[in-house]
Amino acid sequence: MDRRTFVYNAALGTLHLAWGPGSGLVRAQEPSPSALGSLKIAVHAPEFTPSPLAMPGLFPGRVVQIVHPQAIQDRRIFQPAVQVMLARSMAALTGDKNPADAWARFATPTDIVALKVNPSSAPATVTSIALVREVINALNGVGVPNRNIIIYDRNSNQLEVNGYHTQVPAGVRVVGLDQRWSVKGSSDVNRSGYDPDVYCEMDCFGERETRSYLASIVTREATKIINLPCLKEHNASGVTGCLKNLAYGSFNNVARTHVDPKTYTDPVIPVMCSVGPLRSKSVLHIMDGIRAVYHGGPFGWNPEFVWEAKTLLIGTDPVAVDRIELEIVEQKRREVGAPSLWDRNPANLGRSSDIERTAQKNPFYREPNHIRTASELGLGVWDLAKIRRELLVVN
Amino acid sequence: MPADNNWVTLLATNDRRGGVAAAARKPPTELIWKATLGDVIRSSPVLCDGVLYVTCRDGRLYAFDSRNGRERWRYQAQAALHSTPSISGNLVLFGADDGTVNALDRASGARRWQVASAGEVWASPTVYDDTVYAGSTGGDLTAIDRATGQQRWRRQLEARICATPYVSDRRIFLGCSDGRLMALDRGTGKDLWVHRAADGVVASPAVDGGLVLVGSEDYFFYAVDVESGKVRWKVETGLGVTSSAAVADGRVFFGGRDGHLYALSAADGREIWKSRPMRAIIAPPLAADGFVCIQSFYGATQAFESTTGKELWRAALGGSVASTPIVADEAVYLATYPGVVYALR
Repeated sequence: MDRRTFVYNAALGTLHLAWGPGSGLVRAQEPSPSALGSLKIAVHAPEFTPSPLAMPGLFPGRVVQIVHPQAIQDRRIFQPAVQVMLARSMAALTGDKNPADAWARFATPTDIVALKVNPSSAPATVTSIALVREVINALNGVGVPNRNIIIYDRNSNQLEVNGYHTQVPAGVRVVGLDQRWSVKGSSDVNRSGYDPDVYCEMDCFGERETRSYLASIVTREATKIINLPCLKEHNASGVTGCLKNLAYGSFNNVARTHVDPKTYTDPVIPVMCSVGPLRSKSVLHIMDGIRAVYHGGPFGWNPEFVWEAKTLLIGTDPVAVDRIELEIVEQKRREVGAPSLWDRNPANLGRSSDIERTAQKNPFYREPNHIRTASELGLGVWDLAKIRRELLVVN
Repeated sequence: MPADNNWVTLLATNDRRGGVAAAARKPPTELIWKATLGDVIRSSPVLCDGVLYVTCRDGRLYAFDSRNGRERWRYQAQAALHSTPSISGNLVLFGADDGTVNALDRASGARRWQVASAGEVWASPTVYDDTVYAGSTGGDLTAIDRATGQQRWRRQLEARICATPYVSDRRIFLGCSDGRLMALDRGTGKDLWVHRAADGVVASPAVDGGLVLVGSEDYFFYAVDVESGKVRWKVETGLGVTSSAAVADGRVFFGGRDGHLYALSAADGREIWKSRPMRAIIAPPLAADGFVCIQSFYGATQAFESTTGKELWRAALGGSVASTPIVADEAVYLATYPGVVYALR
């Protein structure tokens, strides 16, 4: 495989802070780009092969948001409603009336399709099993057999606790990347879940191990990735959406990028997403906002900070989808009187344990600007004025 | 504790009573030995004739002398191991992620037979008389001759089977990821009845008082008539139930993904007590001599008085995803997710 090393070391980005009057609701304006120069990151990866499906994919700048009032019934996610949401939003995204035609744009029967879920929250706020099952049904509908479908994430314990291993259809593989025996029948001689030849190298805080390796499922096995993030706030990156779910769930050794109160999620997340195999194979993003989290993410332990948004966001452009997610979370935080995700008021910094107690405190200055940085790297559209957002409400 | 002082399968014995004669109500205060294995441990240890058997995700099954932790032998499988072993006679049985059900000689660790199935085998093989029953994530349930490893019958159920079946004289009870709770004829594997829950049944059933007791991902815990498959009672929980139930003295205990440990009357489902919420519980509890014990995902091993739910002790030794401790007269044996096996007194 032809590989090369890129180094991201542009000019240092400047953060513009604007303090509002008073107190805990001080808001900061969105910072200017770019954080790309704030950290030297060497990427060792294969050449990126341009493809129409590679991020930002077939529909740059397009986001379909669908809301179904019956998506949760009697506290349970109602799978038939999810089925309707998925079918209609895929039709809206692609313009295809037949859902199978829409899905056929993204997968063929011979593809090995990896589904990147987000299992890192409390059980109620992970990528829902109902959505995962419906995506698998849709893939089956275009001829992808279950044996060609892999559900993956970094942490096998979180996958198991949240029921992916036990509840998806027979034959679908569920793989935690921390597992040495990552893929049944894999020819990977060292049986590692990560590819030793594809990595990002950076020194964030003087840590001993400065490399983060990409999952071997991404580099060697999957031919397509469908990204299934959750709609939720993240205490370091602002939101954990398409970009963070892909980057921090597919590379290892990523927690090192934040030490209170500083985080390098910007620019690490966008740079990781731009790495060839991840960028070229991630063809579709379906964000689960059926239950959404406006504070306390990524774990979302406090149910007070969860709301039933009954929403899916769909697109091929992860930047545009995350941009809309950011607006939705900001709106919710405004409604409940919580500081903006862009807040830079030191008085609102707290300990990690505070985020389970109050929406006024956070251990980090969040860096939602990673989404804009991703647009600088060509991964999608940041400018709201250029995003075509279609809102569908199922009656 | 069973009369022969052995703990041969998930929750001690095939009746899932969880070791009702065990006697460690007081907190363990002394480390007898510990062993750090090569990867995480997801399964529960089993104990037989002074040997503790533990499967590890590094693909090894370890046999330790239970008194001092000395390793007697280890067996290297060709895939990760998530399955709790079962002991039957001179064999130790377990499933592997390469889709095999394996039988080793209990004394030496030499492989006696191996049978392939359609997917990963995470459940513990159940042995009844001379037959071994094991399900897989590929959807097949296989009945295997215990002595020879010859397949007796196989059924493809088209849904994941991750739970250990409960086997009685005539029937096999098991749950599937599509919500079916099934009773199959033990001799042929044919359906006797099917109850359909609204979501997956991924816990291992227990049977007590003519009722099949099992939770579902549909947020209900069910008691289903052994003969007819009709629901006798059901109790709603906060989230889905993955934790297999243990039964003792007319009470049924299980953990919820909502973080509560539940104690219900096995006869009518009446709530006797419910613990304060912990993090999600998917491990089975064990019901022992007047107390119930659970290993939770993010935290400690905790013991509660079985009649009141009062906490008796806790050991903060690292969490567990699905492992259940062994509480024997002489020691408590724990396998933690980070891969450490403890013998405590």
